[in-house]
Amino acid sequence: MNRPIRRLSLALFIGLAMLLANVTYIQVGRGPEYRDDPRNPRVLLERSSKERGTIVDAGGRILAQSTPNPADQSAYLRAYPEGPLTAHAVGFSSVLFGDRGLEQAYAADLRSKQDVTISDLVSALLGRDLRPQSLVLSLDADVQQAASDGLGSHHGAVVALDARTGAIVAYVSAPSFDPAGLLLETSAAAGDALEADPAKPLLDRVVGETYPPGSTFKLVTAAAALEGELATPETRFPDVAEYELPGSTAVIRNFDRRSCSGGGDVELAVAFQRSCNTVFAELGVRIGAAGLEEQAARFGFGQPIPFIYDVQSSVFPSSEAFESNEAALAQSAIGQRDVRATPLQMVAIAAAIANDGILMQPYLVQQVVDADGSVTETTEPAELWRAVSENTAAALAGMMERVVASGTGTGAAVDGLTVAGKTGTAETAAEAPDVWFVGYADDGARRLAIAVIVEEGGAQGPDATGGSVAAPIARDVFVAWRDS
Amino acid sequence: MTRNAEAVLVAGACLLAALGVTLVNLAQGSSLDAQVGLTLAVFVLAFGSVFVATRRWAPQSSGLLLPLVALLAALGFIVVYRLDRELAVLQRWWILIGAGLATLLLFALRNTGTEVFRRYRYLFMVSALLLLLLPLLPLDWGFPLQGKLVNGSRLWVTFHLGGLQIQFQPGEIVKILLVAFLASYLAERQAALTMMTRRIGPWSIPEPRQALPILIAWVASFAVLVYQRDLGASLLLFATFVALTYAATGRAAYLAAGAAMFGVGGIVGAGTFAHVQSRIQAWLTPFEFYDTTGYQIAQGLFAMGSGSLSGAGLGLGRPDVIPFASTDFVFAVVAEELGLAGSVIVISLYALLVAVGFGIALRSRDLFRKLFATGLTFVVGLQAVLIIGGVVRLLPLTGITLPFMSYGGSSLVANFLIVALLARISHEERA
Repeated sequence: MNRPIRRLSLALFIGLAMLLANVTYIQVGRGPEYRDDPRNPRVLLERSSKERGTIVDAGGRILAQSTPNPADQSAYLRAYPEGPLTAHAVGFSSVLFGDRGLEQAYAADLRSKQDVTISDLVSALLGRDLRPQSLVLSLDADVQQAASDGLGSHHGAVVALDARTGAIVAYVSAPSFDPAGLLLETSAAAGDALEADPAKPLLDRVVGETYPPGSTFKLVTAAAALEGELATPETRFPDVAEYELPGSTAVIRNFDRRSCSGGGDVELAVAFQRSCNTVFAELGVRIGAAGLEEQAARFGFGQPIPFIYDVQSSVFPSSEAFESNEAALAQSAIGQRDVRATPLQMVAIAAAIANDGILMQPYLVQQVVDADGSVTETTEPAELWRAVSENTAAALAGMMERVVASGTGTGAAVDGLTVAGKTGTAETAAEAPDVWFVGYADDGARRLAIAVIVEEGGAQGPDATGGSVAAPIARDVFVAWRDS
Repeated sequence: MTRNAEAVLVAGACLLAALGVTLVNLAQGSSLDAQVGLTLAVFVLAFGSVFVATRRWAPQSSGLLLPLVALLAALGFIVVYRLDRELAVLQRWWILIGAGLATLLLFALRNTGTEVFRRYRYLFMVSALLLLLLPLLPLDWGFPLQGKLVNGSRLWVTFHLGGLQIQFQPGEIVKILLVAFLASYLAERQAALTMMTRRIGPWSIPEPRQALPILIAWVASFAVLVYQRDLGASLLLFATFVALTYAATGRAAYLAAGAAMFGVGGIVGAGTFAHVQSRIQAWLTPFEFYDTTGYQIAQGLFAMGSGSLSGAGLGLGRPDVIPFASTDFVFAVVAEELGLAGSVIVISLYALLVAVGFGIALRSRDLFRKLFATGLTFVVGLQAVLIIGGVVRLLPLTGITLPFMSYGGSSLVANFLIVALLARISHEERA
């Protein structure tokens, strides 16, 4: 009688033993895999509720901080007091979308190490500080504000950095967004709306968008001519109203459809100052495709500029593209046709020229600071490579100063500073041109390199030029930098 | 085991419940509050009354039952409190009501004993079938007793009494009544059912007249539950029927027949019902159906995996992201917050409970009580295996409660009554 009951109990015990085996397999064997699965909501929920380090600008203004969650005393919420102003520069940490920008690149420093991961336990045993560390940026919120105000409601980007060190002082992409709307589990709709917005507010235009550089590319063409000793600033070129494209009936005209300086011939420096297309188209053909391509590459075209964020490669077509097509070469020499550059690429050109020909590694984070306020890491300025010789840099600088002193870029001039630059007004498929100012300001001790791009002419629309729209924005940034 | 040792263990379980509430409070940022005292008071009152009732009306009963049940109820209550404090308030009431009814049952059986179940077995069978049919009452009619649709299943009955609305799942009580009927019937007809007198081809079968009531009970309960879409409960009842018949006769042929019937039923069910198919898909490949049917199982796996060896700590995990955490997935919550240690403790407690229950059955001399104890123990043990097995992917998920731990009034009440009956059976055998 008892035997079948014993067998039934045995069956249940076997079942219970299998439960033990299965739950051990799940919790221990597969545990780490399930715990770290990106679909496991705990991964983000737990991390996001922990305290993270503060991010401040060069003057100590708070750009990102963790504040106690009023609904849950053991948890923190991330806050970005400057909102859209620093959204692209700083990034954000969202429960739903994960970490972006510096929040992602410096996640290891910013996060609290009071998780119970093996490496954190080891750190704890070694007596290391487990509290989150903070970041001090090279960014200056006042200069950033000036750049953002300058762009206003128009689309575009401003990036400015210390040419001697590579320290980024302003980093603005417009339109921007407020990270506060994207941080929570409930932010999916807000994220979708930003994603679908045709103005692309989530796009970081500084590194993620390429534009035709237009006349600002004359910096590259001039550099190639000087480096190849094909010309000096004083070399004279025929001053014609129309440059006939080789092998074509089409012509290249100057902006005002006139000759550069009243006919005859004209110095290269004057042609640069007045941004004469005719002279630079002819100069490009004289330099040749290989020479232009090589100089463009030395400034950084053809590969992403090294940076903590993903950077689009700027493009100068390879020399094969111009074989038996000198017309295309002439147009490319003035930054039209298939030439494309990111704002970061253009500021790199200005910075290399301002730093005697050497391009410095651009960076945003100046210092990592621990919870006690002692500096644990400092970014040392690092040379990337030489873009032009010291002599060429000096010659280009002189020509750029004339542009701002009495050329197309007078709108960028600032009292008390030596300002140098080059304007650009690039034709696009759109009705209005994309307008540029690329240059730098010198206060006697430091040099701030800048690239300003305003899409589709900004407030002035089809009538806009780099000198009328972009140069004044650069001026405002220089003023804020001078006063800070 | 002495009654005093039992009292100490039960008191320990009551203190554990209060301690758990304290820990959850601290972890969730609130401090000591009235919940701690209330929980302690309710546990002491509930288990104290059952303890006193057993001491008085079943003094020879096994002293291990109550401590095990109190521990499981304490762990379950802590989890429900941790997930939802409003549910915890209700759960406390259900613990009181369940314990009160268990006390009343011990009192009612003080003179007659479990003999009443033997004597009035057909009454119990008919009332069980009627109870099973109750949820099929119209959903909305003038009568105060109405059926109710919850998550696509017709398992619930609502009873409107003035402004008060009481909901219950008759299926939970039915399993006790049917086990009582079956134990009694099998005890009486054991000989007839063991003798395989008829032959059909190579198979020997018992006299059809003898097996008929069992077949009717099988088919009826199975049909009703399938119609109500309660796969877990129908599987549980069916398996208990087969197991009890086997226990009474010792004939493995009943197991084979039951397995064959279940196999046919399973294949037909999987081919016919979409919800059976989706359960099986979710069981085999939860991550392929992550956005739909596999979501709950996947979330359970994430929770258990995150718990690892020692768990996140009470109140420190995120089990709230698991759908139906307080009912189907209570086990996953324990596994997340108390880790593998907690999982092993819970499974071991059920193993001990099953061991105690079968111990009572094996020591019983009276055939009816032997079978009754076997059936009651088997129902509780199998229910735990089925639902934990669903959570840990040993079996397809069936939406049944984890005895004594899940949130739910009907389930708690039914399981408290099972404990009272087991206590009474063990007392009768020793007295």
